[in-house]
Order: sequence, then structure tokens, then C-alpha cells
Amino acid sequence: MSENENELFKALSDAVVGMEEDLARQLALEAVERKIDAYTAIERGLVDGMGRAGELFESEEYFIPELLLCSDAMYAGLDILRPHLKIEDASQRRFKVVIGVVEGDTHDIGKNLVKIMLEASGFDVIDLGRDIPPQQFVETAVSENADVIALSTLMTTTMDAMAEVVERLQKTNIRERFKVIVGGGPISPAFADRIHADGYANSAPNAVKLVKQLAGVPA
Amino acid sequence: MSCDLMTPVERFAAYGRSEAVDRLPCVPIVGNTAARVVGAKVSGFRGNGKLIADAQVAAYRRFGYDVIRIFTDLYTQAEAMGATVHYPDDETAYLAEPAIDSADQIGSLEPANPYKDGNLPHHLEAMSRAVEAVGKEVAVTGALTGPFTTASFLIGTETLVRLMLKNPAAVHQLCELALQGALAYAKAILDRGCTPSLTDAMCSTTVISPKQFKEFGQPYLKRLVDFIHGYGRGVTLHICGKTRSIWEQMADTGADCLSIDNAADLLEAKVKVGTRVRLMGNVSPSEIMLQGTPLQVRDAVRQCVWKAHDNPKGYIVASGCSLPVETPFQNIDAMLESVREIGWPVHAEKLEAAWTV
Repeated sequence: MSENENELFKALSDAVVGMEEDLARQLALEAVERKIDAYTAIERGLVDGMGRAGELFESEEYFIPELLLCSDAMYAGLDILRPHLKIEDASQRRFKVVIGVVEGDTHDIGKNLVKIMLEASGFDVIDLGRDIPPQQFVETAVSENADVIALSTLMTTTMDAMAEVVERLQKTNIRERFKVIVGGGPISPAFADRIHADGYANSAPNAVKLVKQLAGVPA
Repeated sequence: MSCDLMTPVERFAAYGRSEAVDRLPCVPIVGNTAARVVGAKVSGFRGNGKLIADAQVAAYRRFGYDVIRIFTDLYTQAEAMGATVHYPDDETAYLAEPAIDSADQIGSLEPANPYKDGNLPHHLEAMSRAVEAVGKEVAVTGALTGPFTTASFLIGTETLVRLMLKNPAAVHQLCELALQGALAYAKAILDRGCTPSLTDAMCSTTVISPKQFKEFGQPYLKRLVDFIHGYGRGVTLHICGKTRSIWEQMADTGADCLSIDNAADLLEAKVKVGTRVRLMGNVSPSEIMLQGTPLQVRDAVRQCVWKAHDNPKGYIVASGCSLPVETPFQNIDAMLESVREIGWPVHAEKLEAAWTV
């Protein structure tokens, strides 16, 4: 048993960094039992841990396998803590991102990492999955009243579908309502400019920085 | 079109002996772009070895590059072992579903039989036909996907990378199966007078760590390379994305040539492994070859040559990865033209002046 709340938060954070899913679950249960504020446990425990994992990823100490297992631990803890969030914490309007891999491609690890890191940074993420037609991005962004549309691909054949998303937004005069960001192997900042996207990122941590910038929150 | 004085076979032979050549070897890695040369749809390649061969031979004749590579996508071996591949009407195929979704199903898989399973027999037919048509003048290679990458297509990449940490024995079991399939296919390729050309995309440190590559990627690649060397053939190994921290390990597989993606730097590669392996690359397939102008291609080629022409084991001007289907012909021509213009021997000072002004 942890002596105080700070120790428990640290232990939660360490469980995420250490890829210990069972331990994260157990510590989250302990937080619930001890009636520790769920929001604080998430922020200072799980989210803190995922942030540290992201830093290890950036410094190439962690790679995709480790980051995925860290996220498994984070989500295991979140599943337990989320139902205990106070209503005002749970219903707070958060910056919303619609994300997916564009039509014609099923490589989704990069997209999944961006989703994980965005969720760990407090953004609402609607994950459409992979092989998603341009119209579905637009429709979902409208119906969900999203702030950002995030498009991913690893294939050059599907890059045109990214441009099509922007064009569809323009045609229906709703371009200004959304920020469109792009990423993936063949994508470059020049390509992002050419299709009139609002931003490009070359890694999951940088995608988070980009969304934070677009959302106007401090990095 | 081409005004070369040597055939690709003559050029590689002379270059390998450090004798005079007419120009550096040059390989824009043409895959499904070959469909555009013969006015076919990409999906037409499915199950049609004759069309693959016709297109690849036509593309070789059209552009005059130095290696023909029979390749449509990375999934052929995984498909032959049960993965589901989606074939869009006129674009490169992609993985729809892996063959299995958990470690306890690995036992249900069998190594592919290259003469029977999936599209492998058609690819072998394409190799035979290409060799018959132009094999005397140009090397015909058969694309061979590395065991770790095939394993990722068999069970799904996320499942595989999680298993690396949770159940490494299962990953080895799957890689071993994929290796057995790859060895059988390699033998069939070699029996046709072709050389397997290895790609192990998922071994990139964009995905896994150098340590994980050492455990799950490298040993299987080494066994494949050893097998191919047993036939007296040289081996090119391509890994996409970031590879800087695994170049030594890639060289340790025994591969004779490393094909390097544009995410890596040729100058650094030359310093690190240039005394052990030939280098190939690394003009950006997307930013330069697909989206750039012929002038940008020319600049990129000159930069690459400037960096790597004096690599101790030699250098092949190439794209960093397979070219996108819609790569403009004029950009492929520009790559070859630039290499011809640079000629041989290479005068580095002239190159520097050309692309810094």
C-alpha cells in the first residue's frame, strides 16, 4: 500500500512506463477504494506515465512495441478510473479530433500511436479506423462537431484521398470549421501545404504538439 | 532511348571488378509503375505471370535501368500462407486481414508452397519469362519479403509486436514458419536463374528497436542470405524507414548490398558500413520521384552520387524504396539521364558546384 497519494500517482505512472497492465489496474482499483480523486489519479498517474513513455519513444529508448504496451497499461487504468470521474470533469468540453487512415490503406499503427498520445494528452479522439473514404471524415467531423480532422497514410496511392477531404470541406463551405492535419511515411510538409492542410507532423509526439498548438493550449 | 555503351550485366560485372564502366549502375525501383508502361491495370497483374513479365520487360526497355525486379506488393508470401489481400482495381494491393489473430493459432499455419499457393506460381512464371526475354543482358530478381515482415502480415503487426514482449517464443515460431516459406520460395526463384531481392520493411527502427531486430529479424535474414549465397548469388537487403542504428546488423546478415530509404543518410552509411557492403538508394520515392520535377530528380541524384560514389564497396543510384505507381515517366527518365550525364569516373567537385548554386 502506498503511504500517500503522491506515491500512488507515482506508482501508477511507473506502471504505465513499465508496461505493467495488471499493476496499473490494481493501482487504479486501490485509488478508487481510497476515494482518491479519479481525475487527479488519471492526470498525475496514468497520463503522466504515458507522457514519460512518449519521451522515451522520442529519445529512441522505446519503440512502437513498448509504446503499445504502455498504452495497454494506461487504458487498463483508465477503464477503472473513468467511471469515477466527477460529473464536471467527465462532461467538460474537450478539443475533439477525428482520426483515421485514408481509403486504400490499412497500415494503422502510426494512426493508433497518434490516437493514444492524443488521448493521453486530454483530447477527445474519434477513431474511424482504417481504409476510410473522404466523405466519412467530413460527415463525422460535422456530426461530432469536431475541431480537427487527422489523416494518416503510409501509401503514396492514397495521398490524393487526403486532398479530397480538404476539397470536400471547401466545396461545402465548411473548411474554416476544422483544422486538417496529415501524417505518414510519404507525406511531407510541402505536400501538406500543397493540399492546403493546416499542419503536418512526422511522429506521434509531434502530432500531439501540433494539435496542442492548433488548440491553443501550452505544449 | 538509352545511349548506354554497356548492358546492365556487363556494367555490374565491370563495376564489381572496379573496372571502367560507362556510368554508375542505376535502379529506379519500378514495381507496379510497369503497368503504366503497357497500359494495363495494376489488378491485371494478379494471377497473370505473363502480364507481369511483359510489363517489367517493357519498362526495362523503356527506361534502360539496371535490374528487373518482379514485384507487385509485399504480401505475396503471406497471402500464400492464408492472409487476405485486397486488390483495388488499379492501385497497389494491400493487406485486408491477417491469416490468424492470436498466438494459439500459429500451429494451424504451414509454410507456403511456391509452386501451388497464392500468386507465387504466377510470380515465378513472370521471372522465367523475363529471364527468357532479356536475362542475358539484365539481372532479373524476385522480390522476397523477410520472415519478420511476413510474420507481421500473418498475425497482424500490433499483435506481433506485443507478442515480442509478452510471448517471444510464439514470435520465433511464426518467424520460423515464415522463414521456411521464404526459403522454399527463394529456392524456386534461384532455380529460375533469378536472384531473390530481400525486403524486410517491418524491421525498420521506425517500428522495432535495434535489440528486437537482433532477436527477431536479423537471425532469420541471415539464414536466408546464407542460403542464397550457397547458390553463388549476391543479395540486396532493403529495410524501409529509419535504419541507421541497425546498419551494422544488416551488414552482419552477410548481405552484399544495402538498399537504404530516404529516411537515412548515405554519407553516414558510407562511413559506418561502406567497407562491408555496397549501398543503394536513396532518392525519395514520394517527395522527389512522385511529386518532384525532373530538375529536382536531377539535383537529388547528384546529391546522392556526391555522397556515395566513393563508397568502398560501390554504389547504385536508386530510389529509396519501390516507386509509387503514378511516378511520372519523365522523372524516371531524369534519374537515368542524370546518371548518364554524371558518367564515369565521377568528379565530385563538379557535382558539388552543380547542386549548391
